[in-house]
Amino acid sequence: MKYCNKCDISIKSNHDYCPLCHQTLEVVKKENVVEKYPEYQSKLRPFQDITKKILMFMSVTSIIGLLITNYFTGFDQLWSLIPIGSIVYFWLLMTVGIFSKHNIASKLFVLTMTLIFFVYMIDELSFSAGWALDYVAPILLLSCNIAISFIILIKRINYRDYISYLLLIVLFSIAPIILIFTDVVTILWPALASLALAIFILLFIIFFFPKSIKDEIKKRFHA
Amino acid sequence: MPKQKMNQDWFKLDNSAKIFPSVSNSSETNTFRVTVSLTEEVNPENLQKAVDIILGRYPMFKVRLKKGLFWAYFDYNSKPFIVQKMGHQICSEIIPIENNGYLFKVLYHHKDISIEMFHSLADGGGVMQLLKSLVYEYLLLEGKSVTPDNIIATKKDKPEFEEYEDANAKYYNKKNRKHIPEEKAYRIKGTYLDADQTGLISGILKTKQMLDLARKNDMTITEYLTTVMMFTIYKTQIQYREHIKANEKPIKIFVPVNLRKHFPSKTLRNFTNFIKTNMRMDKPDISFDEIKALVKEQFAKGIQKDELIRKMSENVAFEKNIFLRMTPYFLKNYVLKIGFNMLGIKLNTMSLTNIGRTVFPDSMKPYIYDVGATIYAGKFNTIGCAIVSYEDQFKITFSRSIIETQIEREFFRHLTSEGLDIEIESNYVEEYS
Repeated sequence: MKYCNKCDISIKSNHDYCPLCHQTLEVVKKENVVEKYPEYQSKLRPFQDITKKILMFMSVTSIIGLLITNYFTGFDQLWSLIPIGSIVYFWLLMTVGIFSKHNIASKLFVLTMTLIFFVYMIDELSFSAGWALDYVAPILLLSCNIAISFIILIKRINYRDYISYLLLIVLFSIAPIILIFTDVVTILWPALASLALAIFILLFIIFFFPKSIKDEIKKRFHA
Repeated sequence: MPKQKMNQDWFKLDNSAKIFPSVSNSSETNTFRVTVSLTEEVNPENLQKAVDIILGRYPMFKVRLKKGLFWAYFDYNSKPFIVQKMGHQICSEIIPIENNGYLFKVLYHHKDISIEMFHSLADGGGVMQLLKSLVYEYLLLEGKSVTPDNIIATKKDKPEFEEYEDANAKYYNKKNRKHIPEEKAYRIKGTYLDADQTGLISGILKTKQMLDLARKNDMTITEYLTTVMMFTIYKTQIQYREHIKANEKPIKIFVPVNLRKHFPSKTLRNFTNFIKTNMRMDKPDISFDEIKALVKEQFAKGIQKDELIRKMSENVAFEKNIFLRMTPYFLKNYVLKIGFNMLGIKLNTMSLTNIGRTVFPDSMKPYIYDVGATIYAGKFNTIGCAIVSYEDQFKITFSRSIIETQIEREFFRHLTSEGLDIEIESNYVEEYS
């Protein structure tokens, strides 16, 4: 036990100053005390930090370099958006895809949707051949649907965490049908395949897990 | 598929809970901690087992926060809860993703078991009950012969609907919900500590001495300590500097009131309101007695049933507003954030919360020697004060986000000058680097 004669208080600690007035303490009885609170530990991991900084620096300088070069070749051809998009997608893949601790269905959903947007951009910036919406988008939606369904089948205990993403991706898979009717999409079979699978999954949930859908809607839409 | 039978597996956020997810961040964490110190070193394995048992008993804590279209909600969390070793951070932001989605932490350090809780999920009273149950189950697993004695809810009791009701909405009165505008409060300034650091200083007093001192002044303990706090802030921050513009604002102490003591309810969720003392320090010679009289008057006024219902209804009315209800959640987030930064937080100088007497069954008392509580200290309310008592130990814990310790020093010196014996504990934040 130690004593501060200025504040008139006793202190149980290995430190030899008063926490209130910072003056040196009198030792009444010498003893070894277990400190009430743990010691300071820095949370930052220096290695990961420096790698991230280097990559970030390289990305930003390349983006600026690409934009300047694109300026000299003329902004009517926005070719630089393709490498810039790749850099951005790389970061998304790293942060959302690998280092984030979100559940895997949400990662798949976000990555699929951004990838569709990205390939559509490449298609439009190159020859506008329409392959992105004709083939890539429906097939990506299809594989994402299959992937999330399989995850739910394998990790059945946690199905509630994934079901909302499955419903979302199913909804998005129905979207290509609108593109067919508006004649944006001319090749039918990929869009129809993705649509068919989406409807199949939707019916499966409605028939076998009707309560999950009802609960999910109740939860998400309560006002 | 292992299925747990539960009455309900998702919960709407209660009225007070709705604001916290939108306004919390790494500095305004809205987290608080309650600690029980045992007489022996904590065994982490048994603690983990005890937590698993307890979460079966309290389904309302086995949740994660999810966003809906209009409001966030608590959804059943299937992931395991993991107890953690206590680090240096105190009442830090609870980042669900690092915590398997849970909104509270169970920490251990030598002989201490702590629960750090995000305020959205429960208030001090609710968490105290959770902690008591946890310690009870832990002691059982350690092979101690302890009995619940109707004080502690054990795994054998069934969770009741009343435990997770939104009690604020229950007492809502449409006719008594007038909003009374308030002015901004005086703010205690200082040199900020680093973001992940919080200074802690607690004083351990003798309950009997404290009670006698309050009685001598013809006040309750909370009233007396609030008076001392206001007097200390005045002495250290404002006296002889009343003419400075920043010092013209009134000192306002936010004192939470446990409404369970005033309205019947068994809820574990937020059911607190507040009394606010309010005094403009515009003279160089304000005496202790002057503040005392004012605090007494404001407490008496604030504790009236009508006034408490008005404050409750004012909050609930806000939530019932049809325009706010129909705003999508992500927009609502911004509305709440802006509203709170403009109004909520700047209306208080600091909070002083008295959790009160903690009662344990006689059979558990030999294994417990201390109980403590801590609230977070943010960028605006740079100092917080939490009070809790157990048997003859009366513990006042200050948390601060600034380096200066003037207020703590003068506060405790005032009490020692009244003849109280005080022992001090600190986390020595000065030595962090």
